[in-house]
Amino acid sequence: MSTPIRVAAVGDVHLDRDVVGRYRPALADLGERADVLLLAGDLTRHGTVAEAHCVAEEFGGLPVPVVAVLGNHDHHSDQAPELIETLRGAGITVLEGDTFELDTPGGRLGVAGVKGFGGGFAGRCASAFGEPEMKAFIRTTSDSADRLAAALAKLDCDLRVALTHYAPVPDTLVGEPLEIYPFLGSYLLAEAVDSVPADLAVHGHAHAGTERGRTPGGVRVRNVAHPVIRQAYSIFELSRSAAPR
Amino acid sequence: MQLDEYGEARVQRLLAEHDGVTEQGITVIRREGAVVLCGMVESTARRDDIVSLVSREFPEVTVVCDIQIAPARPPIEAEELS
Repeated sequence: MSTPIRVAAVGDVHLDRDVVGRYRPALADLGERADVLLLAGDLTRHGTVAEAHCVAEEFGGLPVPVVAVLGNHDHHSDQAPELIETLRGAGITVLEGDTFELDTPGGRLGVAGVKGFGGGFAGRCASAFGEPEMKAFIRTTSDSADRLAAALAKLDCDLRVALTHYAPVPDTLVGEPLEIYPFLGSYLLAEAVDSVPADLAVHGHAHAGTERGRTPGGVRVRNVAHPVIRQAYSIFELSRSAAPR
Repeated sequence: MQLDEYGEARVQRLLAEHDGVTEQGITVIRREGAVVLCGMVESTARRDDIVSLVSREFPEVTVVCDIQIAPARPPIEAEELS
């Protein structure tokens, strides 16, 4: 059997000074267990620079690359550019329509990431129609999905992972109230994931959701929100032959 | 006192919008004479803050806490995607 690419991931860690150090013991042997750590947004509570420093302290200086997207909490204080700068200063890669590639013993891994946004899922989704506010809402999601599709297409690697905060499928929302699904994700993100396709899609945001799902195209989806996985991070071992096309 | 539907909505928004809490992952359940708060947070202090905020803002309602602390232990095993 070929050596797998090992992807560790967690989302919704909501760091602030009061919980700095919670994850660090579990990260001690990360270098032996994973090739990369993905952070699926909501890294902070209020999106302040002070909280970003807490994230930098908790997830900086690890033996593997750390790749993140921001979540809705990380935008709350309107300081996203400063947050990103702080995280990048700690060696954490922050993606928003960007890509990250890494050579591992199991092959070349590519990660494409965006925060994503809401809108809902096929048959029950919002449309860009009517008031400007409604059009802007859906345009935000479709622009984000377009950036994700373009980033995935740009990757030149053996295995591709799509990293978002918002959910691409409703499967991983089971447990959340149906009424709030449109605020938790959008099928447009899944369409982007399927367009290349990716080999795995990882997201957070849905604290009461479930871990596993698939896009309509068959790509595996994992909800790694910390309250869902109930551990410091999950590890996914991907092999080149595993691509669920 | 029974929390009505508007009260339930106010609790939900309070938890998300209060700067000291900012929790969107707490489920608010109305029960006879009480409100039950369910979910998972990062620390006991955050759980206590949620309960004391709702108790303070809705003093006539009994607050029942069913909020757990998300474990931060390392994973036991990897998931093999083959």
